[in-house]
Amino acid sequence: MIAFLIRRLGHGLFVLFVVSTVTFAIMIAAPGGPSLLADPKLSVAERAAIEQRLGLDQPATVQYARWLGRAVRGDLGASFLYQTSTLSTIASRIPQTLLLAGTALLLTIGIGIPLGISAAARPGGRLDRLVTACSGIALAVPAFWLGMMLILVFAIWARLLPAGGAVTEGGNIGLLDRGRHLVLPALVLAAAGCAEVVRYTRSAARTTLALPFVATAQARGIPPRRVLWHHVLRHTLASVVSVIGLQLPRLVGGAAITETVFSWPGMGRLGVEAALGRDYPLVMAVTLVVSAGVVVASIVADVTQMLLDPRIRVT
Amino acid sequence: MWLSLSVVSACTRDPARTDDTLRLPLINDPIFNPVLAPDIGSVMVNKVLFPGLVRPDEGLRPAPDLAVSWQAAPDGLSWTFVLRPGVMWHDGAPFSARDVKFTFDQILDLASGSRLRSDFAAVDGVDIVDSLTVRFRLKAPFAPLLPLLGYNAGILPEHLLKGKKLTDAIAFNRSTPVGTGPFRIERVVPGASVTLVRNPSYYGTRPGVERIVFKVVPDVNAQVAQLRAGELDLITIEPANLGSVEGVAGVRVLQVPVVQHWYVGLNASTPLFASPLVRRALGYAINRKAIVAGVLKGYADLPGGTIPVALRDYYDSAAAPVPYAPDSARRLLAGAGWNPGPDGTLRNAQGKLFAFELLVDKGNPTREQSALAVQQDLARIGVKASIRTMEFAALVRDRLLPATYAAVLIWWTTPPDPDQFAFYATGQDNNHVKWSNRTADSLLSSGRETVDPGKRRAIYQAFQRLERDDPPVLVLFYPREIQAVSTRLDGIPKLGIRDALRHSERFRFARPGGLR
Repeated sequence: MIAFLIRRLGHGLFVLFVVSTVTFAIMIAAPGGPSLLADPKLSVAERAAIEQRLGLDQPATVQYARWLGRAVRGDLGASFLYQTSTLSTIASRIPQTLLLAGTALLLTIGIGIPLGISAAARPGGRLDRLVTACSGIALAVPAFWLGMMLILVFAIWARLLPAGGAVTEGGNIGLLDRGRHLVLPALVLAAAGCAEVVRYTRSAARTTLALPFVATAQARGIPPRRVLWHHVLRHTLASVVSVIGLQLPRLVGGAAITETVFSWPGMGRLGVEAALGRDYPLVMAVTLVVSAGVVVASIVADVTQMLLDPRIRVT
Repeated sequence: MWLSLSVVSACTRDPARTDDTLRLPLINDPIFNPVLAPDIGSVMVNKVLFPGLVRPDEGLRPAPDLAVSWQAAPDGLSWTFVLRPGVMWHDGAPFSARDVKFTFDQILDLASGSRLRSDFAAVDGVDIVDSLTVRFRLKAPFAPLLPLLGYNAGILPEHLLKGKKLTDAIAFNRSTPVGTGPFRIERVVPGASVTLVRNPSYYGTRPGVERIVFKVVPDVNAQVAQLRAGELDLITIEPANLGSVEGVAGVRVLQVPVVQHWYVGLNASTPLFASPLVRRALGYAINRKAIVAGVLKGYADLPGGTIPVALRDYYDSAAAPVPYAPDSARRLLAGAGWNPGPDGTLRNAQGKLFAFELLVDKGNPTREQSALAVQQDLARIGVKASIRTMEFAALVRDRLLPATYAAVLIWWTTPPDPDQFAFYATGQDNNHVKWSNRTADSLLSSGRETVDPGKRRAIYQAFQRLERDDPPVLVLFYPREIQAVSTRLDGIPKLGIRDALRHSERFRFARPGGLR
């Protein structure tokens, strides 16, 4: 197990190196450049002074070598746009990202798996058809549209929930306030992933239900509910876990649209702002942090799978 | 069930909504330093925190702020400002001439990271006469000095920033700025909000609201939603958003002319657009009335030249807007050797088609639709423009600055002054259209050196007449800023939001603390 972890971490570091190199290359090759320099009003002298201050007057290879040299020492540089260190900029956004992504993940698991199992228990039944239809809609509807619709209904018409932000800025911030701000963005962020998990769980549970051990359990007189929610669920979970692991990158890095619609101060939006502003150090740092998160999540998913299914062994 | 409903409805009475807080959107996290930060988010907050020596009144004329009076020397080479006595920084330290000198030393120093240097390139230095008097020494007479002092040049505190690079003052720039404005910083939540609270020792009128919360809401649709939900009090919108705010209870729509001109720039260094005749002809071919009515929904003024109607003292109101005259356009182009071929497209004697690429930045519906309208109007006289949309940064850096383009649809936002030397005088850094006209050069340089308002007006009227015959760019319209505002909000200065924030103490709520 230890050897497995060390090997996976080694792979992970290599992945991070490749990711950083590719990101840097794409960033430099992309048209345009740092938005700081894209002001048509800048004079030639001002532009040159900014380029020099940010080190942009150097060739790309030198810029990358300098970045890598600092990065291995744990210094990911200062953001062009925000001036502050990229790591502290990211750190200030991580709690919000974890809160939103964590809630969405709980919703995904808490709704997706039970619904998937229930749907699989009676294929073609009323619940199954409803679940299939709803998950199809949830997968097809774009996040910004769903978000805007929810805002229209719950914030503008019904005035039940706030239209944006993570807290009532300038107001009294309590747990209730945080909770009310969390509902809509978490639902939107969870929608597509939840639909995926429902469908995957349903088909995995169907496969499981056809296995001999289920028939054996039923023959032994174990109540059907127990068979479904104990034997089938546990067997199904092992494969569903990997799908949930795959949700993490989307929840952390891909939440940009949801975060923009709901003005949520998370990492996804930070990454998009950094990319649009060609904030090289911030783009690199966000990419690295998110990639590291994905690497860790996939290791966690693998380990969980091993614990759930003793037949999967370290090889 | 009933219980849960009543709990929910109790929650909807937001505690913060009934108090005395003005909520405004920002599209990005600000840097609290007016000398360093050119982006719109920073500019908005800094206009509140850091007053300048003067500020624009509702006629966009300079009015006293940190300076109470000023006097230009007869030769125009120095200006003396008497500063307001008894002003305190937000930390309680006294404001003095040293702060003004410090600020302009930083502005003029390229190594400081200053983004205001080109605004004040004519300034040689600032001297302290006494603790409340400063003198600006100029390299040449410079009439735009006052409007520029009221534009972005907020004054910084010497006692907090001296001795290190401005760009290294991270704590000041990102979380603990100290200015002299009507509101001081209370709380900064990165990526989410900036809260300002009333400055009890403000030198001017007592601010009308207790707090201003700037919320970071980058998406305009989200801004509209939050305005309608009562979570924002004033937003600026595009004409395309009008439908979602017009007729909405609790929201009214205001419009203010702003100092901008939106135009199609034709690269005069290309053979196609070198001739003034050709540029004039294309100008006649564009149906601006239709663009203003259709794309801008009427929220714009028809243009004459490059000096917008918002500059009332200088705009040539005697002249009619550029006419829509496609027949004159065809005639002029025929005179320049461009005649319709069998397919109706113009071609010259060598058989070359009159065709070019029109660049426009991606994502702004007003500009994209305007580009389409221009394309169709030009097609009617046989000129083929193909539209290419690009990300703004790429458009500017890869095409506009190196002047490797034929035509571009873009705009200038300028200080409230008619000086356009940097944009349209021969060989200037910002003259991206490579326009060159000797008469215009001399008018533009005497315009920036002439302080007498009457003489100055005559110079810029002559410039606008010249633009009729030799248009530097094809001005499409002067937009008006569309402000969608909570009906509770009162005291809003009749200015674009950026200039209005120079008067942030005037905002107040009609029924403070009242129910919605």
